[in-house]
Amino acid sequence: MGIRFVLMVNKQGQTRLAQYYEYLTLEERRALEGEIVRKCLARNEQQCSFVEHRNYKIVYRRYASLFFLVGVDNEENELAILEFIHLLVETMDRHFGNVCELDIMFHLEKAHFMLEEMVMNGCIVETSKSNILSPIQLMEKAS
Amino acid sequence: MEQLKTIGRELAMGSQGGFGQSKEFLDLIKSIGETRSKNEEDRIVLREIETLKTRLANPNTPKFKLKEYLIRLLYVEMLGHDASFGYIYAVKMTHDENLLFKRTGYLAVTLFLNEDHDLIILIVNTIQKDLRSDNYLVVCAALNAVCRLINEETIPAVLPQVVELLGHQKEAVRKKAVMALHRFYQRAPGSVSHLISNFRKRLSDSDPGVMGATLCPLFDLITTDVNAYKDLVISFVNILKQVVERRLPKSFDYRQMPAPFIQIKLLKILGLLGNGDKKASEHMYTIVGDIMRKFDSTSNIGNAVLYECICCISSIHPNPKLLEAAADAISKFLKSDSHNMKYLGIDALGRLTKISPEIAEQHQLAVIDCLEDPDDTLKRKTFELLYKMTKSSNVEVIVNRMIDYMININDNHYKTEIASRCIELAEQFAPSNQWFIQTMNKVFEHAGDLVNAKVAHNLMRLIAEGFGEDDDTADSQLRSSAVESYLHIIGEPKLPSAFLQVICWILGEYGTADGKYSASYISGRLCDVAEAHSTDDIVKAYAVTALGKIYSFEIAAGRKAEVLPECESLIEELLASHSTDLQQRAYEVQAIVGLDAHAVENIMPMDASCEDIEIDKSLSFLNGYIQQAIEKGAQPYVSESERSGMSNISNFKSQEQHESLMHSLRFEAYELPKSSMAPHVPPVLASSTELVPVPNPYNHTEVHYSATPMPSVSNAGSSELKLRLDGVQKKWGRPSYSSPAPSTSNNDAPKIQNGTTQRDSVGSANSKARDVSYDSRKPQVEISPEKQKLAASLFGGPSKSDRRQSSSSQKVPKNNSHSANKSHVEKTATSDTVAVKTSQPPQDLLDLGEPTGTSIPPSLDPFKQLEGLLDLTQDSTTLNTGGGSGTDAPDIMSLYADMSLSGQGNENPLSTGNDSASLLSGFSDAANRNGHGVNTVPQLTQQLSKGQNHKDSLEKDALVRQMGVTPSGQNPNLFKDLLG
Repeated sequence: MGIRFVLMVNKQGQTRLAQYYEYLTLEERRALEGEIVRKCLARNEQQCSFVEHRNYKIVYRRYASLFFLVGVDNEENELAILEFIHLLVETMDRHFGNVCELDIMFHLEKAHFMLEEMVMNGCIVETSKSNILSPIQLMEKAS
Repeated sequence: MEQLKTIGRELAMGSQGGFGQSKEFLDLIKSIGETRSKNEEDRIVLREIETLKTRLANPNTPKFKLKEYLIRLLYVEMLGHDASFGYIYAVKMTHDENLLFKRTGYLAVTLFLNEDHDLIILIVNTIQKDLRSDNYLVVCAALNAVCRLINEETIPAVLPQVVELLGHQKEAVRKKAVMALHRFYQRAPGSVSHLISNFRKRLSDSDPGVMGATLCPLFDLITTDVNAYKDLVISFVNILKQVVERRLPKSFDYRQMPAPFIQIKLLKILGLLGNGDKKASEHMYTIVGDIMRKFDSTSNIGNAVLYECICCISSIHPNPKLLEAAADAISKFLKSDSHNMKYLGIDALGRLTKISPEIAEQHQLAVIDCLEDPDDTLKRKTFELLYKMTKSSNVEVIVNRMIDYMININDNHYKTEIASRCIELAEQFAPSNQWFIQTMNKVFEHAGDLVNAKVAHNLMRLIAEGFGEDDDTADSQLRSSAVESYLHIIGEPKLPSAFLQVICWILGEYGTADGKYSASYISGRLCDVAEAHSTDDIVKAYAVTALGKIYSFEIAAGRKAEVLPECESLIEELLASHSTDLQQRAYEVQAIVGLDAHAVENIMPMDASCEDIEIDKSLSFLNGYIQQAIEKGAQPYVSESERSGMSNISNFKSQEQHESLMHSLRFEAYELPKSSMAPHVPPVLASSTELVPVPNPYNHTEVHYSATPMPSVSNAGSSELKLRLDGVQKKWGRPSYSSPAPSTSNNDAPKIQNGTTQRDSVGSANSKARDVSYDSRKPQVEISPEKQKLAASLFGGPSKSDRRQSSSSQKVPKNNSHSANKSHVEKTATSDTVAVKTSQPPQDLLDLGEPTGTSIPPSLDPFKQLEGLLDLTQDSTTLNTGGGSGTDAPDIMSLYADMSLSGQGNENPLSTGNDSASLLSGFSDAANRNGHGVNTVPQLTQQLSKGQNHKDSLEKDALVRQMGVTPSGQNPNLFKDLLG
């Protein structure tokens, strides 16, 4: 399956975006998010951007105060996922212009739409920024 | 200031249409953004839930408001609270005609509901309708929802339309249709088994995006059945070639790499297809070699592709040239300063070490550094590598290290894993019985409750059956040493239950066997155990039965069983136990003690735990009784299957299937009967550990050893009365059915390089030579003797030992100089790379990785950078206020007008073709200037040149300020550029 979830969580541990590609209950999500953010916060910049947690491997990257966390299974190329995170941020940046945490908060649905274009069934299906953004722009134009 | 506020307010009102967010929404976001504690956040959300409940219940809510409420609901659930009261409104919104509302509705539904939720049924109809829409964006939205919401029962409702959409003229639709089909395959492979060929067709789609997406389902399909796709090897190789030759549109490029994510997927697929297939592999050599040569390893993504190449190389039929290239890449990874690179290096080493074990030895010091690194992730990865390269010569060092690590961690998940690995390695490679028992004791002591119960039984069986084929003295020695160690350990507090069970069983069985300890001593200790763990019925049961055994052995040996007073009282107590099992055991013991020697010998023979007991399953001894009963007119017995009219299980199954069909929802009557493939194992990767056949010996799955199908135990037929160990692996001590030779001698396996003493001398001499070269080059890197020793014991000295073996005394100096040279060269290489490195910023989390000279020195503390950013944003506020109070206000307005103008002109990024690279360099420029705080006007103009939404962002700024969310407010982090 590859990607199991994509999370954006800030330094205070507040979730800013959560997308799961397998079903977890609300309690499970809450617990999982808390645990992995605590784990990632405890690490310093020199250490690997990868953490094992339960049966997930978490690939994370920090932008300003926001952590981007992607949970993957064992067969995934961790470094590629790390770059996938960057691609996502770049894509958001192209759309919002100087994207910041607040942009994602104000436009939660758009951030989700972008992710929907990029990942389906836990697989990376689109990596061309223009392909990712064009449906969203067309939709904005229409409404 | 006042004027600025007015302007802000005007902007806010003017933007209602496009921005579409109310003050209420902004307030909510503001308060959520500025909360400092979880409690505060919870309070806000709970208040919000109440608001939303009343608002949503109002039937006259306008649609755009409803959309906003849905997003607020998303927040409620994202922040961990139940929003189920609003699910129905999300469902309703999917029915809307407006695309944005519809898609928001679908989004909310996919985030709220899992595929088995009751409300899904209300959406299926809408999805069906939307899949037929003329607007391809509507179709895409519906296909997104299909991937998330359609379960096995509802697949037939949308399947025909999805298949039709595979040929849609829009590539975006085709891509999503492929993924929808992929989803069906994941959920219920049987439902789409007749449609698999569509994936092959889409592989040659004219659009590279569709092709790229098709690789995902194909990867899954190939994972489950490699042989059916061997014919595609050449196609995959050709596609990869085209990608590498930059034939794909530029928009797929990432960091100047052509479509790296597609390359990685293709390499994964090739790795599967070439595994153990020489012919298929030969097609791949050229292209994989090309990729390894072609792409620089300075960027993360370049290394990601490189790493995938190594994975592919280690999976396909080995090719010396590629292996060499892979080894080079690995050494580059390991020498890197970045932990991420080291991590990949260690992982790659683990993959390659199966094919060429000498590679690991070349990097022994790097491996040991990683093992001792404080970074837990790296450490664990290194343990994984060690686990893969364990052999009988290094098992003691590796397992001891693992146990030391295991003792110090709290993470139960990983503790379990590493404990079972220790046990596995100990069983497989143990050099001596003594060591084995000690190791097992340690593992049980610290992780006894975490390891599988089977392991405890396995240990008991190992001790009971012994190891030598016919060497009884060795066996009894083993048992004696086990008894000895258990008597030593038994007094420790807090022993895990599983371990105590083993101890009791062994003490009962063999406690008095060698005559060293008296029966009363052993029984006294057993009593202590039972008393100390009075809440653990299982341990008590083991202890009582062990007592019974001790007494019966005494009686059988012709001595009188002296039951200690405390034992007596224990048995008394258990006779009245609430547990019937304990009661029964106590009565049995009591009865045995009263019997004579002859009877006891038959009931409880000495050391007979491995003997077979014949059981007459057909209960033939009752035949006479049955005959009598039937003669008296009783009904003859009819077996259960005969009674229900079923003859076999498959019949039963099909009935069950039939039933489930009847219960399920039907959308179109009896069109697509379930194919016989239905109960096929879905390709859920998580369960891969359960898939027993591991087709490729090199493919490193973590379960490599445990998944190897073991031949059944030779005396499997007689397992009834023995410990229930059916299906448990038994590797140690029986070379007849264990693949790796377990013996400790040195000449049995080619892996073992040479004798211990020789190895040590050469190893230490060699590493000394290295030491010297290290010293001269880089004095701060000192290799401690401990490390050298560890290296020697792990890797058995450096490679090329074969030659040395012949006449070591003469060759040692030669080899020394040789390896010294070698390490010299290596060292030069590293120091070179170090020099290069320092001129470039290290790849840290915040680094854009752009080769354009970033102005921020890499050593700068990121937090300080952020502070700088903060100051800057405050600057801009002051500028704004200045503008507001002065006469500059019209200027700002005109600037705004300008922006909106150019915003329109810029709306289609496709036509303007501003690619990411230029954009990003723009960013870094901006950051640059901002960092120096020259002025903020350039920043604004900078904003003009990037993104298509600067109008929005300015509005956002103004609006947000008006709401009181300012960078100088409670949470300035909210304003930080993520890519700053």
